Amino acid sequence: MDSVLFPKGVKRCSLPMFLLGLIPVVLVLLWGVYAMLLCWIKGLNQTNMNDSYGFALWIWADLAVIAIGGGAFFSGLLKYVFGKDELKNIINYAVLIGFICYSSALLILAIDVGQPLRSWFIFWHANVHSMLTEVAFCLSCYFAVLTIEYIPLILENRKLNEIPFIHNMSHNMHGAMAVFAATGAFLSCFHQGSLGGVPGVLYGRPYAYREAILVWPWTFFLYTWSAAACGPCFTILVTKMTEVITRKKLVKDKVIHLLAEISGWMILTYIIAKIIDTIYWAQVTAPLMGFHWTEFFDSARSSLTYHGQWILYLEIIGCGIIPALILITKKGRQNTGALWFAVAMATLGVCINRWTMVMQPMAMPVMTFDSWNLYLPSWQEWATTILPVAYGIILIAISYRYLPIFPQESELNPSD
Amino acid sequence: MKLDRRSFIAFGVGASAGVAVTPIPWKLMDDLSIWTQNWAWTPVPPDGEASYETSVCTLCPGGCGITVRKIDDRVVKIEGADGNPINDGGICVLGLSGPQLLYGPTRITSPMKKIKGELKPISWDQALSELAKKLGNMREDGKAGSLACISGSDQGTVPEIFARFLKAFGSQNFICEQSSADTYKITNQKMQGAYAAPEFDFANADYVLSFGSGLLDGWGSPVRMFQANSSWQNNNTTVVQVEPRLSNTAAKADQWIPIKPGSEADLALGMAHVIIKKSLYNNAAISRTTDFNAFKSLVLGKSLDEVQNVTGIEKKVIEKLAKDFINPKKRSVAVAGKGQGTTPGSIREIMAVQALNALAGSINRKGGVFTSRSADYINWPAIVMDRIATDGIRKKRIDEAGTGKFLGSRHLLNRLPKVINAAKGSPVEVMFIYGANPCYSMAGSKAVNKAIEKIPFVVSFSSYLDETAKKADLVLPNHTNLERYEDVYATSGINKAVIGLSRPVVQPLLNTMHSGDVIIKLANKIGGSVAKAFPWKSYKACLKQTLGNSWNPLMKNGFKTVVSSPVHSGRFNFAPLVKYSNSVVKAEGKGGENVTLILKDSIRLTNGYIGSTPYMMKTVSDKVLKTDKKKKMFYSRIEINPDTAKGLKLADGRYATITTSKGSAKVMVTCDEGIMPGVAALSRGLGHTAYDGYLKDKGVNVNNLIGPVEDPVTGLDAAWGIMAKLTRA
Amino acid sequence: MKEGHHHRKEKKFGMVIDLDKCTGCGACMVACMAENNVPFKQNETDKLDSITWMRVYKFDNGKKFPDTEVCFLPRPCMHCEGQSGHSGHSPCVSVCPATATDYDTDSGIVSQIYTRCFGCRYCMAACPYHARHFNWWDPVWPEGMEKALSPNVSPRMRGVVEKCSFCFHRYQLAMDEIYAKGHRDFDEKVPEYQTACTQACPTDAIVFGDLNNPNHEVNQIVKPDHNHRLTGKSGNPKVFRLLERLETNPKVYYLSSREWVRRAGDNYQGEETPENYKVKEVHH
Repeated sequence: MDSVLFPKGVKRCSLPMFLLGLIPVVLVLLWGVYAMLLCWIKGLNQTNMNDSYGFALWIWADLAVIAIGGGAFFSGLLKYVFGKDELKNIINYAVLIGFICYSSALLILAIDVGQPLRSWFIFWHANVHSMLTEVAFCLSCYFAVLTIEYIPLILENRKLNEIPFIHNMSHNMHGAMAVFAATGAFLSCFHQGSLGGVPGVLYGRPYAYREAILVWPWTFFLYTWSAAACGPCFTILVTKMTEVITRKKLVKDKVIHLLAEISGWMILTYIIAKIIDTIYWAQVTAPLMGFHWTEFFDSARSSLTYHGQWILYLEIIGCGIIPALILITKKGRQNTGALWFAVAMATLGVCINRWTMVMQPMAMPVMTFDSWNLYLPSWQEWATTILPVAYGIILIAISYRYLPIFPQESELNPSD
Repeated sequence: MKLDRRSFIAFGVGASAGVAVTPIPWKLMDDLSIWTQNWAWTPVPPDGEASYETSVCTLCPGGCGITVRKIDDRVVKIEGADGNPINDGGICVLGLSGPQLLYGPTRITSPMKKIKGELKPISWDQALSELAKKLGNMREDGKAGSLACISGSDQGTVPEIFARFLKAFGSQNFICEQSSADTYKITNQKMQGAYAAPEFDFANADYVLSFGSGLLDGWGSPVRMFQANSSWQNNNTTVVQVEPRLSNTAAKADQWIPIKPGSEADLALGMAHVIIKKSLYNNAAISRTTDFNAFKSLVLGKSLDEVQNVTGIEKKVIEKLAKDFINPKKRSVAVAGKGQGTTPGSIREIMAVQALNALAGSINRKGGVFTSRSADYINWPAIVMDRIATDGIRKKRIDEAGTGKFLGSRHLLNRLPKVINAAKGSPVEVMFIYGANPCYSMAGSKAVNKAIEKIPFVVSFSSYLDETAKKADLVLPNHTNLERYEDVYATSGINKAVIGLSRPVVQPLLNTMHSGDVIIKLANKIGGSVAKAFPWKSYKACLKQTLGNSWNPLMKNGFKTVVSSPVHSGRFNFAPLVKYSNSVVKAEGKGGENVTLILKDSIRLTNGYIGSTPYMMKTVSDKVLKTDKKKKMFYSRIEINPDTAKGLKLADGRYATITTSKGSAKVMVTCDEGIMPGVAALSRGLGHTAYDGYLKDKGVNVNNLIGPVEDPVTGLDAAWGIMAKLTRA
Repeated sequence: MKEGHHHRKEKKFGMVIDLDKCTGCGACMVACMAENNVPFKQNETDKLDSITWMRVYKFDNGKKFPDTEVCFLPRPCMHCEGQSGHSGHSPCVSVCPATATDYDTDSGIVSQIYTRCFGCRYCMAACPYHARHFNWWDPVWPEGMEKALSPNVSPRMRGVVEKCSFCFHRYQLAMDEIYAKGHRDFDEKVPEYQTACTQACPTDAIVFGDLNNPNHEVNQIVKPDHNHRLTGKSGNPKVFRLLERLETNPKVYYLSSREWVRRAGDNYQGEETPENYKVKEVHH
């Protein structure tokens, strides 16, 4: 029915089948939209946040999706700036995933603020000292860049491309893409860092606070680095998942392995930096503030509590050292199971990092007569956080169906 | 024109760009943000001219001076009045939230009559005419004696008007709520020959020993006591608190001595043992007492080991305490009456503590305790009673106060429910309730409610739709404290007496009437000698005449200090204590209980006629009141020692059931090291079933769990706790 | 207008709260609520969503019965001056993206502009004292009770952050009055500007005034040392600040004669004491 819209030389399932498959995702989306409307109409009392937990699941989700969306800027950087031309076969998908991640972040932010209709005050009354202002500016600019990077892809739709104006526009945009990608990479480096600065500058919150290099706390650099390291892993993970769902090979192993290897080295170097940071934090920063680093974790009952120490080990060893070692060894990344495991753990690792940097500082007592706060998100918070996932799946499904996302698809799946 | 795809897109892009360069989207964005700053449902308080008025707070008996800040005719803030001899600028949570009581939705808006089980608004004319007719008929039927009145106080002109009305009408049954001050009065009558309230000279004391008195938990004139505490800090006065739990008073004291609840008298006698055995007492003072030898053999008859056993306090601590207290270089004073002193308590306990004061020579001495003069400015002409009144007054009081066994007691409100419930028909035909909410605030709520329901006709004078007003057949709402005149006589803890004048700072907002005026009107409607007993045109006229020369200074400053010389009292007599030394008041229990339940008082919660305000409820700790996880049901939290919790397989935050012989309730556990093992404490002031969502259905009313226990000597309520079973729920 | 103000000395309003005197009666909390139109809900048992500009904490010395001791500690906004060298770099002010909270260098007061705040709550995340509160709900006054609202402080709308302002409107009213009388500044001996909590406190535990004014009681009690590495550290051994080691540089001081209470004001490790603890090397 809609086959005229398909990219050239590829097979797609029938429209009813496609729509049927989307139904459950759309239901989840509607659930999320309902929760979102509740939050906007009734206010943030719909959440389980409170005055101690002002930053919670949503802020984590923002930091996490932007980190894992980092695949877009880093693969762009590799392709356009460092000339890793091989990556052109995955860059479209990286851009799409990045676009989804960034638009999701903006949406979640719009739900998260108490007065969304005033959120433009961040630009109008900008406080240049605030990391969040930096984030807002870079995030909007980079989102614009991602949109510009995504538009040519839409314009490449077979039917749209038949229109000469669009064809020419798309062609010209492609030509300028290197400039955008480079700009994007710069902006992205900056705001990934600013996001790291968000917790890092909180000198009233000993868990989050890091000492500064120039005006930026260490977390500024750690965040950029970890996003560059783990973002591509998420791109690989989603590509692999797409391959499983479509039951097709979409990107050549060579491309995946190249990206995986680069990621592996990035993760390894990152995790070394992170370990140094952790040791300095535990041995120097914390004692100056009057804390022993073990007090940063809730170990009243056991180390396996909600805010227990286990999370630190899981992040550094399970989600850092291990995936890094797998990905830097040829044997590791070429073993399908190990590759899957490594990219999944790396993705989880960066999410855990963002989680602890948001949750732990809110949960831990700073005043001696405070106590640990336990926070569990409300269903409205979960629904609005899952909403972008559903939205992402739908956007991927539509893009995959109608746009030439994977340049190697027709080659890898010759139609008979 | 045919619109092809290309031109459509071009149009779309062009239009978007076009709109973006116009001011429309930006203006819209701006308008929306301005809209969020002016939501119609967020009130904007109107501005106006600011003014201040001076008055006196009547929300508790403390008598603090207040300054009321107004914007035009709205009361927006209440502050403590600077220079007032009682509170000098200080104020408490209740006084501060006066505007919430004035403007709150729980006020009664007009007179109401119960029609088919529901309170319906009626006019004042109808209300007063019907009531006057009813009362007139009672007199004609020779039932004048079956009119009764429960009053929250017997101080000041308004309670006096009620008492006078009853007397002129022909009833003895003006029954006033009683407190530990009343037990003190009886004690002073028996031991010093003067029926007088105690007056503690805290400002000049060097050593204050409190037997569970919540001096900083709302005792006496609360703000005055807070200021006394500051002066103790400045003057290095030693304060020792003897109490089973670490109350705010204990927390601020220099020493906290946990004691098994109910054994305070035993500790006092044990201390007397030490003092007498070592002859440490003030010889000069003792030489002016009677029956010291009998007392001596009484206290020496009980070994310190026994005292240690009963009180749970080590011998050496008792010895040290006795020596510190009796230190001749210090002016020591001991005070008794638990918590806020709202329960009269055991006379044996108060006598034993007074005996300590006698040993230290602290009776009627600077820095000690005086017998204070009661208000003497109300001098109304004697009532000329008609035959009906004279006949009625011959009937004995329903509560049996002042007769037979309870000769020394003037009011025994706590006995009323028992008497009414035991009688065949209700001995009370018509009950007035003024300034009191017995259905909520009296121990043994179940019996109280039953008795109130049994009374054929209940008239409430409450300003608020409280538990008792809800049960009334006729409600005649009084003005609130900010709308009416009233005199306040305060003495507690000040060592001088202060008359305060509360006056209207706003015009009455609702269709209410001053209860003084109601009674005067009612008397006039009844006519005859009853009317003649009230020669005043209005309550204000009555008050003005009563205060005489004081009226003008009172209108100017809000207060007048009366330097009161102490009442002359006789030699201190130890004999009554010896006589009543076995009148121990025990906690009720059937056996099989595992904890002793005691009550805790807090300045942040009211527990009497006035309900706690929304602001006050906001200050209540989550260790006192907490909701379940769904934030639906509210639970009072029961405070127990972690060791007690362990033994009962309970833990902080767990639900438990507390059961006494009077009732049962589901509560939440609070573990606290500041309470004796084996003791459990619940806050008073929670568990209202009336008022609005800010106060209603929040926790348990402890009066459902505890019953009045008659003191064998005075007949007054002496319950200090009750045996209870605490189990996991 | 502006130029006329130049003759005024820069002030640093601060507070010292005597914890020996504080009895935990809660009058400061209610005075604050009544003064500042703080909203209230039917359920205020969850203290984590209960707007209390002034909150009285209760904590103990951690000892078992019967050696337990208790302290009450009223906690307004600390009006932090922030890390030394950057005046006004308060933890919250420095992070607000929309300049909705600011440090007034004239008075040392940390302000909050409700109509500019868009509710991101970054300031709350930054404040270790829980002094900032979010309006999770629309404020609702029971019918009639909105009459008791003061016109001097605008009620806040849902979705914004609010906190103690040291009763800034009273400062403004006082200044207006001073100008109207033709003066330029406070008479140094007359405290013409007091916060509502200071005024209400029945124990006189709170002393409020200009820390820069050597004639003011607050300065005489605190004896702030501006040359100390921790700017403004008190020269009075009984006086401490909350979490001083974080270098938030609060302007609310506490006084206690009890050692364990002073120790509870900050975090210390092992042998460290409030008088002797590890400090950062300062490089000049």
